[in-house]
Amino acid sequence: MALSWIRTVCVAVAGGALATFAAVDSGAAQNAPEIVLGAVVPSSGPFAEWGRANTATLQMLEKQVNDAGGINGAKLRIVILDDAAKPALAANNVRKLAGDDKVLAIAGPLTSSAAEVAFPVANTMKVVSTSQASSKPGVAKLNRPWAFRNTIDEGVLGRTTIPYFKKAFNIKTVAIIFDAKDATAATVGSKIMPALMKENDIKVLNESDPLSFNTGDLDVSAQVTKLKSLNPDGVVVSADYSQGVTVIREMKRQGLIKPVVGATQLISSAILKAAPEIPIVAPATFYATMKGERPEKFVKDLQPILRKTNGLPPEIEPSMYDANIYEIVSMYIDAIKKTGVTGKPGDLEADRTKIRDHLAKLVGFQGLGGPIGFNDDGDAIKAFYIVQGQNGVWESKVRGCSTAPGHPGC
Amino acid sequence: MISVYYAGLLADVGILLLGALSVYIILATGQLSLGNAGFMGIGAYLTSYLTVVVGVPITLALILAAAASGIVGTVVGFPALRLKGIYLAIATLGFGEMVRSFFLNFDTMGGSGGFHGMKHISVGYIWAWAAGILILVVLLERSRVWLEMRAVHDDETAAGLVGLNPTTIKVGAFSFGAAVAAISGGLFAHHHVYIEPGNFGFERSIDFVLAVILGGSTVGPGALVGSFLLVLLPEYLRFLADWRLAAFGVLLIGMLLVRRQGILDRSLFNALAFRRAS
Amino acid sequence: MLLQQLVNGLTLGAVYTLIALSFSLVMGILGVLNLAIAELFMLGGFFGFAVIAAQLPLPLAILAGMVGAALVAVIVEKIGYQPLRDAPVVTPMLSTLGFSIIFQNVATNIWGSDPLQLTDEVLATRFTLGPVSISAMQITVLGATVMLVALLAFVVQRTSIGRALRAVAENRDVARLLGVSADRVTLLAFMLSGALAGAAGVLIGLHYAAITPYIGVEIGLKAIAVMVIGGTTRIWGALVAGPLIGIAEVMTVAYGGSQVRDFVVYGFMIVILLLRPQGILGGSGADQGQRV
Repeated sequence: MALSWIRTVCVAVAGGALATFAAVDSGAAQNAPEIVLGAVVPSSGPFAEWGRANTATLQMLEKQVNDAGGINGAKLRIVILDDAAKPALAANNVRKLAGDDKVLAIAGPLTSSAAEVAFPVANTMKVVSTSQASSKPGVAKLNRPWAFRNTIDEGVLGRTTIPYFKKAFNIKTVAIIFDAKDATAATVGSKIMPALMKENDIKVLNESDPLSFNTGDLDVSAQVTKLKSLNPDGVVVSADYSQGVTVIREMKRQGLIKPVVGATQLISSAILKAAPEIPIVAPATFYATMKGERPEKFVKDLQPILRKTNGLPPEIEPSMYDANIYEIVSMYIDAIKKTGVTGKPGDLEADRTKIRDHLAKLVGFQGLGGPIGFNDDGDAIKAFYIVQGQNGVWESKVRGCSTAPGHPGC
Repeated sequence: MISVYYAGLLADVGILLLGALSVYIILATGQLSLGNAGFMGIGAYLTSYLTVVVGVPITLALILAAAASGIVGTVVGFPALRLKGIYLAIATLGFGEMVRSFFLNFDTMGGSGGFHGMKHISVGYIWAWAAGILILVVLLERSRVWLEMRAVHDDETAAGLVGLNPTTIKVGAFSFGAAVAAISGGLFAHHHVYIEPGNFGFERSIDFVLAVILGGSTVGPGALVGSFLLVLLPEYLRFLADWRLAAFGVLLIGMLLVRRQGILDRSLFNALAFRRAS
Repeated sequence: MLLQQLVNGLTLGAVYTLIALSFSLVMGILGVLNLAIAELFMLGGFFGFAVIAAQLPLPLAILAGMVGAALVAVIVEKIGYQPLRDAPVVTPMLSTLGFSIIFQNVATNIWGSDPLQLTDEVLATRFTLGPVSISAMQITVLGATVMLVALLAFVVQRTSIGRALRAVAENRDVARLLGVSADRVTLLAFMLSGALAGAAGVLIGLHYAAITPYIGVEIGLKAIAVMVIGGTTRIWGALVAGPLIGIAEVMTVAYGGSQVRDFVVYGFMIVILLLRPQGILGGSGADQGQRV
């Protein structure tokens, strides 16, 4: 009868569900020793390009390491999971990587929104998680000791950016516009930049009247017209570069050709194409045309791979996020080699702690742009460059270092 | 012993279940609400404020937040009476966006920077609430109140003629739905220990509706099926990599074409419960 | 500044009018909210960009956008609406949502998630009339909007096709009894709305000169608000409501706070829904929605 058939199906389904949930430690003993690391990147959704580029970067690194003989003889395997830039998925990815795949350390998540939710999980599960792009102030700080970020707090960067901006363009007044829906951009635009302006004796013309737009807005003509009417010497654009492009193009359209300053979120090849005649000043720890033996080799190796990857545009260049995640995993490998991490299942907890301690005390690790360490907040102590973008290229103007008291500099 | 990963997924299912039920309750009176994420947001922020700033224990905070959200639901429910069908849906959409916009500007609770400080709760606690409310809804479905709701759903005029008060029923449904969504929000806040306005936008409201429609829009446990589906599918579709989201879209369309009442309907439910179809 | 802001508001209003009209074509005739229209707008933009990047002229780009989007709209109608015609209204709406998810994914895979930019803007010459500065592209957008709306009004009110559309909108079964092929009319409605959204995508995409696969999302929601405010079944209503909301938004930004902009737009929409549900230009209050 139909009823008994339905019952059989139900029992089967229930059994299947039960089996799925009784997650057995399916880590069947690996015959060859393996070092497993994890990564959480946004390969789908609004930042799909970043995630896919990150994935290609990590695959390149994995191959480079294994071709060179692996880590202490063991093969490197990087498990990369997609979080679609959604916080809940990022948190679940950390649980999966740490609990099921039993990785030694995790690179990611990328966005601050995802990190805010994933870092507490990393702390609970006692595994290191280092973000390659989160720069919203305080995210790692709230989640010590297991959360790190290979980025510099925007407040620290601004302290070098703004004096240069002021001097280079003789800035006495600015107007600020920011992306109100983006936590990092909003914090930079409404708190950090005004404070920095005050420190540097620059008047914020729209201090009492903040100008903002929302992520995804196509039209910012009203805001730019208002900016123009204020007639500032310079404009602060605090937004991710995708939105920054919209603002800068509108500025060009309306004839507001004034120098622009912003946070690391602006750094990209895309923004250079928006309005080549408008100078853009921002801090960067890496950009595709950076000079130096390490960055140039990195770009030479990675760029052709990126350009051949499915789902990435043919003119793509390695980005700051690619460089950051490359450094993160390289640091993990460095930690593994130097602290005697075995990779054996029994030593998992000890191995993870070794990596954490190594990172916390890290000094002078050779990154792509200079030496890297971490401060007490978990943010990176590394060299950064105030770059000025004009006529399609970035030019490095000032070299800075995100030193912290009690830690060696760059 | 359940792995931490699956425990995390179960927690997400429980939270989504409550949100889906909030839509289901309102839908049962013939009203489609596309703005329940707004109620969820109110619940999340209010609960967090109570536990972090005021120091109220979580259970009490959830009850208080649910009550407050229920009042907002009543306030929304009255003007909603004037609208029908897709127009009501659009109005609730507007309501949801307004709530999100409000919290974006509400600097006391962090604005776009979000709010921290909540204490983590266990999966067990989440499911105590989720299962509890699910059972409540199932029991409600067997009661006279549900019959009255279905009567209003099917033909409001006739229901009025028979002596029912469609106003009380429809507004009451909004109120109850808002309270349930608020609990979903409070649990969400204490599971992720961080909230920001972006968590409570149109996409979230649509997730609730999807869970109900896909899982089964005519029985309460349909929301349970739908919630499992929505949380587990992205995990199991990982192998599709670049096409994961598109695959989800295809599955959604496919399900609607093949079985539009959702997976679970009354006859299947009765069969599964080993009961003769009534 | 005020005059310039008015011009900004009008341009934004033109965007809203065209997309609101696309929504209302399907909503007014079939009672269905076609959530995929936002993505038809986005795809139109990408098609237009592709044509311009190939150094082909603007009218061809607009044609490509319209035809491309119309064809995609046919797919949505055949698979997503036709089989679900008799289901409660939420079902085809969710089906179109499924399509919009698919289109966003496809666009991301083809063109990437970073903004696609035009190196040289099309019709970039600017005209300065006193305190106001306006570009040739903007004038084209405004002019094209008025033309498209007038064309649509003509088709709906003066042609036999239009009569068929209105008949089906009034009462599908009676229309069929009177010999109107309701299925053909439905397909036509979808195609027209797709073509309109596609045209909007090309014009507006080229004006802003930088698009991503997600430009439809925010604009789509606001356009729904505009549709409601103008009157769901009133074509001229969209032409009035679009600039009205565009200017209101722009003025809120210019004089109030840009933070409360969304609040104002959706708040206004809700007020209209409650006080005058047939919209500003709406006729009788008979536009009551079907059971959900």
